[in-house]
Amino acid sequence: MMFMTHDDLTTWLDHLTKELKVIAPRDVGKGHVLYRPVTNSSEITFDYTRPDLSAKEFLLPHTERLMRFEKRADQLEMHDLSCEAEQIIFGIRPCDAHGFVALDALFRDQEPADAHYSQRREMTILVGMACPQMWEGCFCTSVGGAPDDPSHLDALLIPVDGGYAVQTVTDKGEKLLASADFKEVTDGQDRTLPEIPMNEIVPVLPPEQWPGHFDEDYWMRLGERCLSCKLCTFICPTCRCFDLRDEPIASGANLVVHERMRVWDACTAPNYRTIAGGHNSRPLKGQRIRNRYYCKFHYYPQDFGPLGCVGCGRCVEVCPVNIDILEMLSTVSAMQRELDVLEAEVEL
Amino acid sequence: MSNDGTNPMRPYLGVLAGIKELAADIRLFQIELQNATGKAAFADYMPGQFAFVSAFGAGEAPFGITSIPGRGELLEFAIHRHPHGKTTNALHSLKLGDPVGVRGPLGNWFPMDEIKGKDIIVIGGGIGGAPLRPVISTILDDRENYGGLTILWAARNPSLLIFTEEYDSWRATPRTDLHLTVDQRPPDWREGNEGLITTLLENVGPSPKNAITITCGPPIMIHFVALSLRKLGFTLDQMLVTLEGRMHCGIGKCGRCNLGDIFVCVDGPVFHHSQVAGLMESFL
Repeated sequence: MMFMTHDDLTTWLDHLTKELKVIAPRDVGKGHVLYRPVTNSSEITFDYTRPDLSAKEFLLPHTERLMRFEKRADQLEMHDLSCEAEQIIFGIRPCDAHGFVALDALFRDQEPADAHYSQRREMTILVGMACPQMWEGCFCTSVGGAPDDPSHLDALLIPVDGGYAVQTVTDKGEKLLASADFKEVTDGQDRTLPEIPMNEIVPVLPPEQWPGHFDEDYWMRLGERCLSCKLCTFICPTCRCFDLRDEPIASGANLVVHERMRVWDACTAPNYRTIAGGHNSRPLKGQRIRNRYYCKFHYYPQDFGPLGCVGCGRCVEVCPVNIDILEMLSTVSAMQRELDVLEAEVEL
Repeated sequence: MSNDGTNPMRPYLGVLAGIKELAADIRLFQIELQNATGKAAFADYMPGQFAFVSAFGAGEAPFGITSIPGRGELLEFAIHRHPHGKTTNALHSLKLGDPVGVRGPLGNWFPMDEIKGKDIIVIGGGIGGAPLRPVISTILDDRENYGGLTILWAARNPSLLIFTEEYDSWRATPRTDLHLTVDQRPPDWREGNEGLITTLLENVGPSPKNAITITCGPPIMIHFVALSLRKLGFTLDQMLVTLEGRMHCGIGKCGRCNLGDIFVCVDGPVFHHSQVAGLMESFL
């Protein structure tokens, strides 16, 4: 076990911020913490729950410049726009790192790979901070995660008495941490994560059992409350729908410049599934909520592998009309239990 | 990021080499690709595939390719200007020689080899005829290898019928019939029938024996055409359809075109109706 005091950590972070782009939890006022670029360790908050927004925007920016079109007279020049330099996301919660597993499966591993995402992913180092507890709405342990899960990180810090236990996970993490001042724990003191109270495990129906509940009235009842405000999709670490837009950047007498932007989109938007002629095959709010949840728990795992949910609990917190993914998961499991009972009776 | 074609979102540069008025607010855009990589990508695209056409500065949108490689290098798209469509309006304002972008070819295609020797019934509604024209061209250019070709072509009114200039050559080809219908027939229009395409279909009454149908049009038309075909004795496996999804990426990533667990862009756009009928989420 390696160990680092808080002072050693801030000294190391001050060194890192001079060399690289560092993103870290930052108190932006009124109790709100966001992952934000920082220029020195004093800008970082070490006492935080889950930041209001996930770290998704640093791999899949809400607005990303993909290409630039420069038009002079009838001549058009097209330029691919490249990503920024190497970045470290320090203090990322294990659930937010877990979210990248879903994005990786689609944008990087599914052919053809997305050039921008893959490049940015390659240049990103994740140094996680274990959660000292599970907060209200957190359910990472129900979807394959844990508050101190190192699996999807390059290195993990675990807050312990007097500092941080340090766990390097990948070569990338080891290389980065080589510049930090560690102490090997030799005094026999217990510096592992203290036992923390876990939130109750929520039953999550396995992907293959979801199709049987697609036509339940439940979805339409749930939809009655939805405002189609799209907040749940924007704050979600794994929601990845995107739109492309050409935006004007500059224009002069001889030169007109546009950029093609990739921007976040949301499948809960009313006209999301509208096609030529105005036909919309998903006009009901309940159909769109169902699509979002099925994407997370059936389509995504079936098509790409990982679940599309990491249990961060943000959608529970942010929904203005209290649509609760935990309540939904419990309801679907209850529906499955009823189905199991019926099927057992039929067999008898 | 390099310009060596590793960015799947990057269009190939082309110029607008031809514009033809096809119908009211519908134009045929003929595009000449400008460089070798673009030409290589579009060397052997197939009937039923689609591509994104960029009006640089306005955006890009997916359209069925309406040409075939066997009839020349120009890529053709039949594009209906939508009153509120940013991209289609911008495309319709372009003039000859203007730069355009093309990204593709994308999606699957009609199994033109598999259906050789069969009678083919092509059923197109409005702009839905656009991705069917390559099917018709392919059969006409290889006529002896296919059975009878019956084309059922519909539009809301005669001014919206597309490829009218080609009707004579279609009709003149052996074992090829063309039947037209419009929702409301103006008094002076004698070229075809009045009524929905399902009425026309049931009146023409093609035999299901060794036959395949290929349908494209609005979802509601696809649905009712399938019901009429069932009445005529066709099985769902004999019906091919092509669907739409207003995709943004065309490569299975943006999320826009899913129908349940499939994506129209990569699992389609061509489906057997038996697949469509079995989808978890309806296209209707």
